[in-house]
Amino acid sequence: MRPSRREFLKWVSASGITLSLSRLGAAKAAVLPPRAQLPGRGGWNPAANGAGRIDGVAKVTGAKLYASDFRASDLPGWPQNTSHAILVRAPDATHVYTGMDLARLSGALKPSVVVTAADLDKIGTRVPAFYAGDLFCPVGKTPIYMGQPVALLIFETFDAFDRARLALRDGTFVTFGEETGPVAMPDYGAYRFTRVAGATPDALDVYSPILAGWVSPGRSQMSPLPVWSPLAKETPALYSKAAAHGEKIRGELAAKNPNLLMLDREFETQSVDPMFLEPEAGLAWYSGKDESLELVLGVQSPYDAADAIAHMLGKARAPFKPARINAQFTYLGGGFGGRDHTPFVLYVALAAMFFPNHPVRLAHDRYQQFQAGIKRHAFKMRSRIGVDRATGKMLAFAADHVLDGGGLANLSGQVATVAATAAIGIYDIPKVDVTTVALHSRGVTAGSMRCYGTLQSMTALEVLVDEVATALPLDPIEFRRRNLLKPNGRTMAGNTYSVSVRTPEILDKLEKHPIWQQRAQQKSAARPGTLVGTGVACVTKDYGTGADCSLARVELSAEGRITIYCDHVEMGNGIGTALANRVAIYLGAVADEVSVARIDSYDVLGLVTSGDSYTMDQKTQDKAEKDPRWVPAISSATSASIGAHVGTHSAAEAARVIFRFGLWPAALELWSIAANDPRAKDWAKAQWKDGHLMMSGLAPLPLPLLAAKAHARNLVTGAVAHGFSRWEWSRARFPINGEQYRAEIDALAVRKGNAAFARIDRVSVRFPPTVNNQSGNTYTSACGALVRVEIERATGALRIGNAYTVFECGRALVPEVVLGQAQGGFAMAVGYALLETLPPFEGGPGNGQWNLGQYLVARGSDLPLRDLELELLPPLTPDEPPKGIAEVVMIPVVPAILNAIFDATGHRFQSLPVTANLLKGVLA
Amino acid sequence: MTKLSITINGRAHGPTDVRDDLSMNDFLREYLGMTGTKFGCGAAQCLSCAVIIDNPDGTSFTSPTCVVSAVSFDGKAIRTVEGHAKNGELTTLQKAFIEHFSFQCGYCTAGFLNEGQVLLERLAKTPVARADLEKTIAEALDGHICRCTGYIKYHEAVRDVILADSKRYLVANQ
Amino acid sequence: MKSELRFQFLVSVVAVAASMLAGYAVSETMPQALAGPESFASIADADTRSAAMFTELGKVLTHPRCTNCHPAGDRPRQGDLSRLHQPPVMRGADGHGLPAMRCSICHQNANFEPGRMPGHPEWHLAPREMAWEGKTVAEICAQIKDTARNGGRKPEELIHHIGEDTLVGWAWAPGAGRSPAPGTQKQAGALVEAWVKSGAACPAR
Repeated sequence: MRPSRREFLKWVSASGITLSLSRLGAAKAAVLPPRAQLPGRGGWNPAANGAGRIDGVAKVTGAKLYASDFRASDLPGWPQNTSHAILVRAPDATHVYTGMDLARLSGALKPSVVVTAADLDKIGTRVPAFYAGDLFCPVGKTPIYMGQPVALLIFETFDAFDRARLALRDGTFVTFGEETGPVAMPDYGAYRFTRVAGATPDALDVYSPILAGWVSPGRSQMSPLPVWSPLAKETPALYSKAAAHGEKIRGELAAKNPNLLMLDREFETQSVDPMFLEPEAGLAWYSGKDESLELVLGVQSPYDAADAIAHMLGKARAPFKPARINAQFTYLGGGFGGRDHTPFVLYVALAAMFFPNHPVRLAHDRYQQFQAGIKRHAFKMRSRIGVDRATGKMLAFAADHVLDGGGLANLSGQVATVAATAAIGIYDIPKVDVTTVALHSRGVTAGSMRCYGTLQSMTALEVLVDEVATALPLDPIEFRRRNLLKPNGRTMAGNTYSVSVRTPEILDKLEKHPIWQQRAQQKSAARPGTLVGTGVACVTKDYGTGADCSLARVELSAEGRITIYCDHVEMGNGIGTALANRVAIYLGAVADEVSVARIDSYDVLGLVTSGDSYTMDQKTQDKAEKDPRWVPAISSATSASIGAHVGTHSAAEAARVIFRFGLWPAALELWSIAANDPRAKDWAKAQWKDGHLMMSGLAPLPLPLLAAKAHARNLVTGAVAHGFSRWEWSRARFPINGEQYRAEIDALAVRKGNAAFARIDRVSVRFPPTVNNQSGNTYTSACGALVRVEIERATGALRIGNAYTVFECGRALVPEVVLGQAQGGFAMAVGYALLETLPPFEGGPGNGQWNLGQYLVARGSDLPLRDLELELLPPLTPDEPPKGIAEVVMIPVVPAILNAIFDATGHRFQSLPVTANLLKGVLA
Repeated sequence: MTKLSITINGRAHGPTDVRDDLSMNDFLREYLGMTGTKFGCGAAQCLSCAVIIDNPDGTSFTSPTCVVSAVSFDGKAIRTVEGHAKNGELTTLQKAFIEHFSFQCGYCTAGFLNEGQVLLERLAKTPVARADLEKTIAEALDGHICRCTGYIKYHEAVRDVILADSKRYLVANQ
Repeated sequence: MKSELRFQFLVSVVAVAASMLAGYAVSETMPQALAGPESFASIADADTRSAAMFTELGKVLTHPRCTNCHPAGDRPRQGDLSRLHQPPVMRGADGHGLPAMRCSICHQNANFEPGRMPGHPEWHLAPREMAWEGKTVAEICAQIKDTARNGGRKPEELIHHIGEDTLVGWAWAPGAGRSPAPGTQKQAGALVEAWVKSGAACPAR
């Protein structure tokens, strides 16, 4: 029942359009050669020895890297001139759209082409299911959301475009008639997660989502919200069972029971913008002669973007159906989930199709990015918690979440389920019942922004937990410890974690930290006119989506040069550097070239797929996997903190194959160790040091020497691998050199010497079982935070005095990037807790008049730049796999700030953000 | 239309006819193809579009390019991110940004680089006391928005460059 | 307790939205008018008449176009909502900003509409002692007559400052997206002149 994270994809889409996707190299005008993303060993390599990012030089010299940097003249083979398009959007969604005041664009300002809903009808475009809703609002209809596009205006020259955009930006260009009120649409998903644990910790669950499946209530025509009652008509049987357990839990919470401390609280969170710094942009050119649509895009989900465009144009009439789509993908100026499954790319493609033979650029300015960019969901939550007064143990928890999904479904269903399954955070609560529904609204579309869902539900939880501790009373950390889920315990979905669980250690660290230890002294020593308080929070967050793919190709030249290709995207997360470092573990040197966002380098695997990996049943999977080229999914978006864990996985596996069947046999020969010598199987004992392969008692061997030997002997010098994870990796055996090689991949091709790559059919495969789709988070990373605030009584001005966050990510591939992510997460958390907010509807960003300045993000002066202490726990074992942390580092900071505000002021805020004005209000 | 003559990274451009309502940002990005100077907000809020303006008296300052006209730059000499490295040799500050992992996505880097460079040059002319250094760095960089790394690593990089050559940038200890 | 909070939260959001719409309507459709000195002729008492004229002038003096750069602190405000200026800029030693961020870098000789950027050759903050933000019209009146707090101006000089100074005049031509000060600069000047000549009486409140 998990909602599909993305449409089902195929290499050649059903429309018959050939898709080709590749990483766009830096432009020829820039300082880098077209394909290189690395300075290479010949030049100063900042990535070597962890002294910098592999894309560092390009980024400090202003190389063309981002989608917004490219114009037609930068691209070989393209016409020289770039035309420009404006995507006109409706600033109103309660009145009938009647047209545009095109008269104001006359003379030199007249657009060459105007594209409206009527034009799409004429050519027969299709809306991809994921983006369901009119691509353009037709005249005579009320827009389904504020910011819904109404037309594309295309201008041949930049000058005409530049002057026209000035003429139509005042908000009156799009005209409206009769008031209709907002358009009602069905919700985007409603779910109920209920768990009743067995009588003892070791007993089986009485009921859980993993046992019974994920359930949704029936729909009611009459009410905007789902009917959660198990007794309602149209109630599905599976749902009814969960609801009966759930209602019982709620009954127990509501019953008068002097032994039970019960708190019932509401919490609201606001809509915010990811505010990545590069507004969305794209460039496209449809060559009528070749029937080829060329695209330059910057998205987190390249594979999906190209497929959605192919679907949109797949049944269009000539000449609007391209024979080929060649999409090139660039670096991103930030993403934070806001570029994952963005409909923006559809309009880039449309602009080119309607102005054939002219390269057309479509780029948001910041007002448009606020008007249309994917937002974080605003939540309304009601939570009830029952705690045994005598033992301080949490006994039951019930919550109801309502999400504002905005205008299009996007990933709202996913956000709702992730939020709900994270609703009890790090705790072990035997009875849990959480309902969630994501609603359509006339607001801007919300999607999978950084820590989506969990930020909201765990902020509400950690604030509630703090209040319970105060009410019991019990020390907040001791209270958390008493209720901590044990590492082998079951989550509210009923599954256990499959990775390390380090929350006990993190609570210890928080408790011993001076910020916590000295909280009372600091509070009483507040300067006159100020209030000082300290807050704590601790969370754990899943990483991955349950259908994560990893594709990589690693090549080793005869000179020992390493080249890596990977399908994941660089959005600032350091994926390139992480790849280089992870491959270096096996090949002994940092790569000379890393090429990311490449989806064109794995043809040799000949992968095929079918079905939806999220909803597939076991039988279907068992049958499908008999085809050795079949995988549950081919390529996935760079999102959900999977960069380190998933993005680098296949590259690591490919490198491992090269070591095992290339460099290791080469070393044996150089060491004159015969195949029957017992040491020939000691590959695990070999170690890399300073670019040399070391084995005790034997001569160190430099990588170039080993590479030359591997090439000379036609040993394995390159590998292409695919991996799939549904909360565990696929595993398979591959016959190589007469050996059954086991690896956590499901497709492999190798190159011997300088020969071509050749696919090796797997001989057995174990894909993760489909029942895993019913689990909640099994991959999890934990993070705790302490925050001390100082609040000025007179003004409500809040200053974060100092702060500490402690977290773990298994083996950190690039520790500096990990720390940077944590610092960035802290900054984004401060913005979310104290500054950032967007009104949902009228007066909100959908009106096209919002920008920074009105929307406040954290600046340096809002942060304790010199007083933020970070602690990254070392991996449990040196080879512990990397875990995703890019999201979790943000979460506990928000409730810790709120808890600190309570400690300082005695007031519990139950909505965000807590601005200086609100603080001033409660202190007056 | 107004004639615009400008020196960019030491190279003279123009005179060129330029529309009076053309922004400097669009002049650089659309007319010259110099996209190292970014467009972030168009409202002088994020300063990812900032360039260095060199005054004839040898002083310099940074300016956003998104909210000012191209023609207002007539007769001026500016530096952009593309002009810092000479013959492939990065500046001290560029290297420090890389070594400190100061940026992630890198979209704000040009602005921080220009601001940091101007600060270094200002301090070389008018050093500050060590005690005032943090405040000086904070004030200089506060106009710039970074959404990825939380600023700390930019501040560290600038601070390290200054402390590594404290004779040049700081007032000698009394 | 909880429902009350929720109520407050919702109300604050609605209030922001409404005031934004109002600001927009004011700037685009109906500029606020300013009554001329003659409108007060019917007031018999000279001091009352003089004070009434100042109260009318107060519509200008307390307008965001004026108070934003006559702020209470060292940081200007901006926009019709008078939010704190972003990016954070400070008055600096001369009212023209800190060394790293001078007003004139963005605020050039004239408004630059494509960048929505207001401009004037002398763009700067009024001195700290001339802060009007948050003050009543009566307080501003007392302040504007006090040479220690009005830049050393005699009352007659105020006629010129308000009626003819071109930086003050910007308030009536602030560019798109910002509502202009009420009336015209000429009308404001006429009010100041009539007020000064009628004895420069201050309103009680």
